[in-house]
Amino acid sequence: MGIRWSRLTPQLALTPAVAITAIAFIGSIGWTILLSLTSSRRLPDYTIDWTNPFRQYARLFADIGWRISLSNLIVLAIGSALAIVFGFILAAMIERERRGEDFFRTVFLYPLAISLIVTGVAWRWIFNPALGLESFFHSLGMTWVSFNWLADGRTAMYAIILASVWQSSGFYMALMLAGLKAINVEIWSAARLDGVPLWRVYLEIIIPMMKFTFLTCAILLSLGVIKAYDIIVAMTNGGPGQSTWLPAYFTINAMSAKGNLAFASAAATLMLAITLVIFLPLVLLTVWQQRMRKGVAG
Amino acid sequence: MTDFTSSTSAEGAVMFPRPKKRIKGRSIAVLVFLTMAALFFSIPLYVLVTTSFKTMDQIRGGAIFSLPEVWTFEAWRYAWDEACSGITCEGLKRGFVNSLEILFPSLIASIAISAVTGYALALWNVRWAGGFLFLLFLCAFVPFQIIMYPLIVITVKLGIYGSVWAVAFIHTVLAMPVLTLIFRNYYKDIPPEIIKAAIMDNGSFWRIFLEIVLPMSGNILIVVLIMQITSIWNDYLIGVTFGGLGAQPMTVNLANMVTVTTGTVSYNVNMAAALQTAVPPLVIYFVLGKFFVQGIAAGAVKG
Repeated sequence: MGIRWSRLTPQLALTPAVAITAIAFIGSIGWTILLSLTSSRRLPDYTIDWTNPFRQYARLFADIGWRISLSNLIVLAIGSALAIVFGFILAAMIERERRGEDFFRTVFLYPLAISLIVTGVAWRWIFNPALGLESFFHSLGMTWVSFNWLADGRTAMYAIILASVWQSSGFYMALMLAGLKAINVEIWSAARLDGVPLWRVYLEIIIPMMKFTFLTCAILLSLGVIKAYDIIVAMTNGGPGQSTWLPAYFTINAMSAKGNLAFASAAATLMLAITLVIFLPLVLLTVWQQRMRKGVAG
Repeated sequence: MTDFTSSTSAEGAVMFPRPKKRIKGRSIAVLVFLTMAALFFSIPLYVLVTTSFKTMDQIRGGAIFSLPEVWTFEAWRYAWDEACSGITCEGLKRGFVNSLEILFPSLIASIAISAVTGYALALWNVRWAGGFLFLLFLCAFVPFQIIMYPLIVITVKLGIYGSVWAVAFIHTVLAMPVLTLIFRNYYKDIPPEIIKAAIMDNGSFWRIFLEIVLPMSGNILIVVLIMQITSIWNDYLIGVTFGGLGAQPMTVNLANMVTVTTGTVSYNVNMAAALQTAVPPLVIYFVLGKFFVQGIAAGAVKG
């Protein structure tokens, strides 16, 4: 596979990538973790107080904003999981009913091409209490309908969930459609011969067969949720109060608005830790899948 | 990574014809459900478009779903030319130019670096390639916040902080791991015999890349190009962090414009501004949809 000659040029060509990885990723991660152990305020100060190096982390868990961020993270993750369910239902329907496949796929997927800022602008307009969806329902006489979700701290997260489900369902649909098309067609005829009802075929055969696709979607979704920032800025800017804070928002707010570098670094370090916890199954999954494939081949 | 993405990008490879049936009740139910879902997905775009062409008088009258009584381009012109974002009132055109100035350098730099790196790792004998690829795989998932402050310091030291070059530089840095993995996955399927024969023929590392490998990478280049254009154009966080006041991309401009709290809110201008920001990636999506889907599957790890 490899080539022995002229070993130097390829190594030289790799220099930019290696430099970026070493400085911008590994070095910078170490740098931030180091900062999280200091007491830096607006400017960095690299002296670590060894009697209590984890004071920023202690402060973090005592901070009400961080606790709200973490619980919102879980709410958003559970709510956004609807996008996977929705994506699967859409993919299954498109796959069964071949009519209009291209049309429906195009419509379901276009939100993905749009900036989350634009998505936020559009949904905030729809949620506008005086002129938006609520006033539309009220004008129809349904005055009990309330869509003023963004103004209330208890419902604002649901509005964000709705907007992110709208944005990302098409993505999961595309992944699910690819997974469904890879399933052997004989399963369908076998199931039909046995007289198994359709919903049971999906529930007991198709979904278990697609467990890798589902797991992939779940991991991508969790990583997306941790990174969620733009949609918050565009829809609520964290409000009302702190009710729609998320770790990504908390970290950047602590750094730029509050100018609290060490505190923000501690929050960023915890974000990395959460990512790694989600990431671990992915690595194991890849290894497992490779082993299974080798088992099949051998 | 290899198997992780290839399992999702196998779309369209296996297609089985199914016998044609007459329309049955179930078919109709499915089509009705799909149509309703399509309506749900279209509502925000419909509302954006109609509101942007309405007059403020009509908007104040309510009826968000009605069509404009008079179609007017005034809001579009105002959003592009005059609307205030922060302290400047130059409309979105400034942000549009900034976005373009960010887009081209980052496209060229990120694709050049990643393609060469992917090529070297896939086809040349680099002993630490495996470990390096795993490292890149990890880097692709790192949350931006953990490297944000050091990158700010680095761009300040380089003297580019607050310019389009800083934003382009950071886009290049952040895209490198994912793009390298994509290119490497694509190039590893090139038979090594071709490269060996080329070396016998006195081909150097760069000549083989330019004359043999690059002409073979048309498909993957289009996919990566579309992926990068949409993700760079739609980015907000990097633009707002590294652009400063002078080099804000269109998304940042738009966000500042719509969150202005003083005076009356002109919803038609806001919607027109949002649409103007969304038009470039949407055009690419509707024209090159097939590659867009491939790009999603290939860049799935990017999230």
